[in-house]
Formats: sequence, structure tokens, C-alpha cells
Amino acid sequence: MAVLLAAALAACGEPASLPIAGPTGDALPAKTLRITFQTAETGFDPVKVSDYYSGVVIAAIFDPLLTYDYLARPAKLVSNVAAALPAITDNGKTYTLTLKRGVYFTPDAAFKGQSRELTAADYVYSIKRFLDPKNRSPYAFLFEGKIVGLDQLAAEAKKSGRFDYDAAVAGFETPDRYTLRIRLNETDFNFSHVLAFPLVGAVARETIAAYGDDTNAHPVGTGPYVLQRYVRSSKMVLAKNPAFRDMRWQATPGNDPADQDIVARMQGKKLPLIERVEISVMDEAQSRWLAFQRRETDIEYQLEELAPKFMTAAGDLKPEFADQGIRMDRSVDPEIIYLFFNTQERIGDQLNPLGGFSAEKIALRRAIAMAYNVEDQIKIIRKGQAIRAHYPIPPGVAGHEPNFRSGIAYDPPLANALLDQFGYTRGPDGYRRMPDGNLLFLKYYSTPTERDRQFDELMKRSMDKIGVRVEIHKDRFAELIKLANQCRLMMKHSAWIADYPDGDNFMQLLYGANAGQSNSACYKSAEFDKRYEKSRQLPDGAERNKLYREMTRQMEVDTAWLLTDSRYRNVLLQPYVVGYKKHPVFSHEWLYMDLDAR
Amino acid sequence: MTGYILRRVLQFIPTLLGVVLLVFILFNWIGGDPAYLLAGKMSNPEQIENIRKQLGVDQPFYVQLWIFITQIVTGDFGVSWATNEKVSAIFATRLGPSLTVLVPMLIISTLMAMAMALLVAYRRGSLTDRAVMIGCTVGQSISILVYIVVFQYVFAYQLGWFPVQGWGQDFITNLVKFSALPIVVGVAVSLAPDTRLYRTFFLDEIHQDYVRTARAKGMSETRVMGVHVLRNAAIPIVTNVMIQLPGLLAGAFLIERFFSIPGIGREVLLAVERSDFPVIKAVTVYVAVATLVFNLLADILYKAVDPRVQLK
Repeated sequence: MAVLLAAALAACGEPASLPIAGPTGDALPAKTLRITFQTAETGFDPVKVSDYYSGVVIAAIFDPLLTYDYLARPAKLVSNVAAALPAITDNGKTYTLTLKRGVYFTPDAAFKGQSRELTAADYVYSIKRFLDPKNRSPYAFLFEGKIVGLDQLAAEAKKSGRFDYDAAVAGFETPDRYTLRIRLNETDFNFSHVLAFPLVGAVARETIAAYGDDTNAHPVGTGPYVLQRYVRSSKMVLAKNPAFRDMRWQATPGNDPADQDIVARMQGKKLPLIERVEISVMDEAQSRWLAFQRRETDIEYQLEELAPKFMTAAGDLKPEFADQGIRMDRSVDPEIIYLFFNTQERIGDQLNPLGGFSAEKIALRRAIAMAYNVEDQIKIIRKGQAIRAHYPIPPGVAGHEPNFRSGIAYDPPLANALLDQFGYTRGPDGYRRMPDGNLLFLKYYSTPTERDRQFDELMKRSMDKIGVRVEIHKDRFAELIKLANQCRLMMKHSAWIADYPDGDNFMQLLYGANAGQSNSACYKSAEFDKRYEKSRQLPDGAERNKLYREMTRQMEVDTAWLLTDSRYRNVLLQPYVVGYKKHPVFSHEWLYMDLDAR
Repeated sequence: MTGYILRRVLQFIPTLLGVVLLVFILFNWIGGDPAYLLAGKMSNPEQIENIRKQLGVDQPFYVQLWIFITQIVTGDFGVSWATNEKVSAIFATRLGPSLTVLVPMLIISTLMAMAMALLVAYRRGSLTDRAVMIGCTVGQSISILVYIVVFQYVFAYQLGWFPVQGWGQDFITNLVKFSALPIVVGVAVSLAPDTRLYRTFFLDEIHQDYVRTARAKGMSETRVMGVHVLRNAAIPIVTNVMIQLPGLLAGAFLIERFFSIPGIGREVLLAVERSDFPVIKAVTVYVAVATLVFNLLADILYKAVDPRVQLK
């Protein structure tokens, strides 16, 4: 009855007048930006977290040495608290950086009333923390095997149970308070991206010692914002750091006409312009959508499932919203989604029907890739909110090839012909047999979620078209990671979003030595690996891009993956939000934005 | 009475042991290995082993079970595997918001359901009775999700009577402003089944001899229904309310998620998504203990409501 009554009231017309107040109902201080997280954060100790939302807050509080130009695409490195980009010498093995002077940590009880200036030693300490076993850092891989002597220190810590932060590491030199020299084990011209990674911001040893096991709740950095209020899993309020260094808005406009408007409005202004950021965790899309329409929030990032409510089929904002001054920023996330095939000949002690590199095994993988309907995945599962991925490196990331087209096209008749040719004959039940006459039986893995059920159905439908029997195996996410790390998944969809905007972050997914880590297909190709190892010695540029193209073709020849899609990110902005442009890796664009009067 | 209470408290021990075993077996059997979730995007076997060691999940099952039992006895469930926050702090900070919504919701829905049930039981077979029962059947068959989505859209978005979601810093604002719509939703959801249930309790009593005798003695209908029938039907009503009380500890996760209430229900859901066993363990044990305690309280209340009840 109550629902019927409510439904009747729904016909009462337009929503009531829109209030301008925080989701807490408090009067809204000037220049306050209200945004939402769709999942709760885990904490703000840079080495202890890996989730996106914690990273958003960390990026606002801590300073990495380098950062990215706000407007340049693909992403372009610029200095942050380093006075300039690093001097790279010794054939890419030595990075020397000089810090700006007069950068201070925000006041904290741990500093006992003293001003605490940022020094090169703070970065040495902060990087060491990634390899301290006690911190079990999810991003330890950024530094493992990279810095001379650091792995030995970590190994000793594993034995002794104590990481000796005072021990000298050959790979770190601090000739003076502001100079940091990092020596790498191998040539790496792209290490600067690691130094620009938001989680590689400087922490002060005193604060880490002071807050012990609860560093996740006490972030103290040198960045533009400080954590003013924190209700775990619910609310975070960031206030402008009053002692923030003199940082001016400066960016290189690209070809996008909107860039010029942003530059005209913002260039040269002292940052940050937004005084306060209120972040509310709102798990449900319906709540976020209604709250945005009621102007209880200012930016909405995550409404893919509700896109038809505000977007036309052509991907534009519907006129009724555009008329209110609402704007939409649409970009493709720096991610790839792919269907991987386990290329190992055995899975555990069982023969893998998909594994190996004989002609008939490659033909089977190719036929599956040709029969899987990527367009349906985009149209039905993604509701049109994705683009076809052709290249392992997504748009916005150095090394992306916009004109590259996958050599594996959707063509079920050709896939059937291929299977016929290689002896995968159909049995009386309509399903195919292996060339040796045994049953052909594939396993596809997914989680027991509603979205993955759609993938299961699409996979089943696609495989039925070529007479390949596929069994769906459901398991929890953690178990699937475990199986992937043991190279025990035969076939599964997977996703990778850029940690940093460099092609290497994606190509390493197919590197043989990463099998059992990020290389879930456990793909081991001598041709691919040879080129990959060579590419790691090169900076971003034509020579490296050529290798990436060859590696991609090699992967297609072997058909270790079928690249499927990269998702759109549709960001909705209230009329008074100024200067927004989605950056491929930034999660805290509001550092570079402003707010007009509401 | 004291002997009875002591006997019941002793009976808690085997029941709790059963709960502990069940939770432990279920988590270890189907819970998945949390080390793989915590290890991040790229991990090697050495890192996984390091995490397992730190969490203690590399220990033999009997050691892990003993640690679990020790935690129950000491009340210290350690820290969340996902956030490092103390489990006790999670309860201390999340329980308040849940209770701010759930306690008024329970009181209002119980009082309203009793009043409606009494009315329709008194007018059994009338048009009012039939209309209310049809309404209750329809109301019961609608999912709580529909209530939430429709109420949030109509009352918060369209009419602007309430905020769409949110939570403030002081109790009064939270109770009056942010809990109001969630309470309305909760009352709407539970009103229909409670009314139907309580109606049957009242109908059972209305046909008893003592009601006929009271009426024969010329007692007013208000007194018959409002005092004698109500009092005698109170035992099953008390039971029903007591059954619902432990649920307050687990929160109402759907309501909390949609209205962004930082309560314990949302936290439990997060813990399950993150395979955060310390939080799951604590919630399960607390709810089990609360169920046992409230059942005992219900039995003691029977005695208060009806002196004829003997506690043995």
C-alpha cells in the first residue's frame, strides 16, 4: 500500500527546489567540493593499500617526486617536489633528483611542535617501506629487483623479522639534504613513472613511528590537502593545507578545444583553489544519481550502469540535463579487458586442451577468439559504455597505437572451418572432439556475480556456435586469483588498469617471467620475451613502439589473449565546477580545478 | 529464578561452541584465501606466504580454532585484515548509527502493528479487516529493495522531504534528518508481516472463555481488548520482538547502503566482500550471544507479563 501510495505521489511532478548543502546537512563552506566514492576506502598509508579510493585521498595528501601535466595527452611527466625531471645517466641506471627547498610536512604532534622540512632521506625511507615485509605492501613489485642492494635488505628482514631502515643501501645516495641519487640494477628509462606514482609519496619517519599500526588513519604529508575529518568507510573531509608550497597552475594544452578554455581560466593561479573536499562513500548508483540531481554532490564519476538515464544513444548528455548547465566529460579508462587462454600444456596433472603451441592448439584458441562475440559484450553487458580494444596498451598510455587493428576478427563460420581443418570433428551430439578423438571440454572461470553471469551466458552462446563444449566454473574472487597465480585457470576474462601511464605496465602482462604473477595466461614465448626484454632497455619512442607492435602480433599469432574492450568513464559535473578534465592516471583532478558560486 | 538463569547461561556454552565451529569451518572451507586479495595486483609465492604468516592462516586448523576461542573469551578479535582498524573500534563506531535507525524503527513498527492488528482482529471479517489483510499480503510480497528505491525517489528526490542520503555529526540531526526516511522504509517493510502475525495472536485470545466472561460481566470493549486481550497476546508478541533484537547488531545492510549510513550492516557486507575474517567472526559471535541473551530475557519477561508462567 505504501509503495502504491509512493508511486502515486511520484506523479506529482518535478522535484522540489534544489538545496545547496553538504550531504551532512551542514551549511556548506565556500569553495567546498562534494564527491563520492562507490566503495569504501581501506586507509591512507601509501605502502599498505592498493584500492583506487584510498589512492585518491593519498594523492591529495602526499607528494611524489614527479607528477604529470594536467592536460597533455598521452600523459607527460613533469616535476613535482623535485625541482626538475631527473637526470638519467649511466645508460638509464642512475636517476638523480634535486628536491625543492622549503617544502614542509603539515604540522603534527609527532613533530613535537617543530617545522619539519621534506628531505631526500624521506624518499629513501618511504621507498624502503615498500619492501618491509611487515607492511606487506601490494605495490612492492614497483621496487622489487630494481634498486641496487634493496632486495638484499628485504631478504635480511625476512630472516630477522626486522627491517633495518638505518642500514645503508648502495642504490640510494643522498649527498646533501635535497639531492637523491637512485642506482638501478638494470637499465630502465621508464623508472620516472614509478617516481610519479601517487603512492610513492614521502612520509616522515617520525609520524610512522608515532602512529604504529594505525598509520592508515593518520596520513601526514606535504601535499595540497590535509585530512580534517575521517569517519572510516563513510566520510572524509580534506581541507586545504595552509602551509602548502607556492604551486602554480601550469599545463600544456592539447588538441582538445576545451583545453584552451581551461588554460585561459586557470593558468598561473596559486593551487589549490578548492578549499575543502567532502568525500562521501555511497555504495549504490541509485543513491549517487539522485544525490547528484539534487545537487547534494558536485561531481559524479561512477554511473556506468545508469548511463541510459543521462546519455543519448550517440553518447551525448541528454538535453534536459545539458539545459541545466550540467556537463559530461567522457573518456576511455586507461585499462584493457581481455579473455586469456592458458597456454601451458598441462594444468596441474591434467592435459590442457587449450595449451601448447602446436598448430592445432593455436587453431583451437584462434577459433574460440574468432567465435567470441565482443560486440555483444560491449552492447549488452557494457550497455554501450566501452570501446573495442585492439591493442594491449590502452588510449592515454605511452605506447598506445590508435591505428592498430587486431588480426582476430569475429567470424564464427571461419572459426568453424578452422576447427574442421585441424581435425576437431563434431560428434553425434553436435559438440566437437579433439583431433585424437577425445571429448573437447573447456573450462571458463568467473565469479558468482550478476555481471559475470552475463559473461557466462555470452561465452556459452559464442562457443555453441562453433560446437565447443564449455563448462562454467564459479569461484570467489580470491580463489580465482590463487588459481591464476598457480597457472590453473584455463580461460577467463581479466582486466588491467594502468598503475602508471607507460606501455611497459601492460606489456609485462605477457612476459614469460611474470607467469604466475600478472601473466595469467602463463604465456611463454621466446620471441615475445626477447623483444620485451629489449623494450625495457628503451625509453618511450618509435624504437620501443615498433617492438611493442611486433610483440602484439606475436601474441596474436599464438593467440594467448583476445582483447575485448576498454570502458568509458562518464563524469558528470555541476555547472559551477570549473577546469575539469579526466586525466589518464590522476584520481585527484580537483587539485587543478576551481568552483564558481553555486 | 537465579538457578534457572544460571542453568540457561551454562547452556550458552555448547551453543556458542557450535556456532564457532560452524563459522570456522565455513570460512576456511568456502571463504577463500585472504592472502591473495591482500597481495595486490602482482604477487609472488613468497609475498603470499609472508601475508599468510602475518595473518596466522598458515597455522594448523586446531591452532587457528584455539586462537578464535581465545578471542571470544577475551573479547579481543584483533584488527581488520583489510584496514588494520581494531575490530572493537569498528563495533564502537558503527553500532551507534545502526541503532539510531533500527531502534526507533522497531518501536514504531511494533506499536503500529499492534494497534492495527488489534483493530482488524476486533473487526474480523469486516471490509476493514479484509482490506487491511489484502494490503498486508501485497505489502509483504514486495521486496525491501523496491521500498527503498521507490521511497528514496519519491520522498527524497521528487518531494524533497528528506535528504537522499547522508549522515551528520550529531545525534539529533542524524535521528531527525537522516534517519527519518530509512525509518519510514523500515516501518513500511515490517508493518505488513507484523500486523498479520499479531492479528492471529489477538484472534487466538478473542475467542477465549475469559473474554466471553469479561463481556458477560459488562466490561467495556476498550477494556476487554486494550487490557485483557492485549496482555494475554503479549507473550508471543514479546517473543517476536525479542527475536528481532539480535538483528539490530547486524544492522540493516540494504538500508544502510542505500542511505549511506555508516552502520554495522554495511561494515559486515564490506567484511564479507573483503574476506575480512576477524570482523566476520566478531559479528557472528556477537549476534549469537545476543540471540541467546535476548531469548533468556524473553523467557524472563513472560513471567513478568503472565505470572502463571513457571520458569523451570
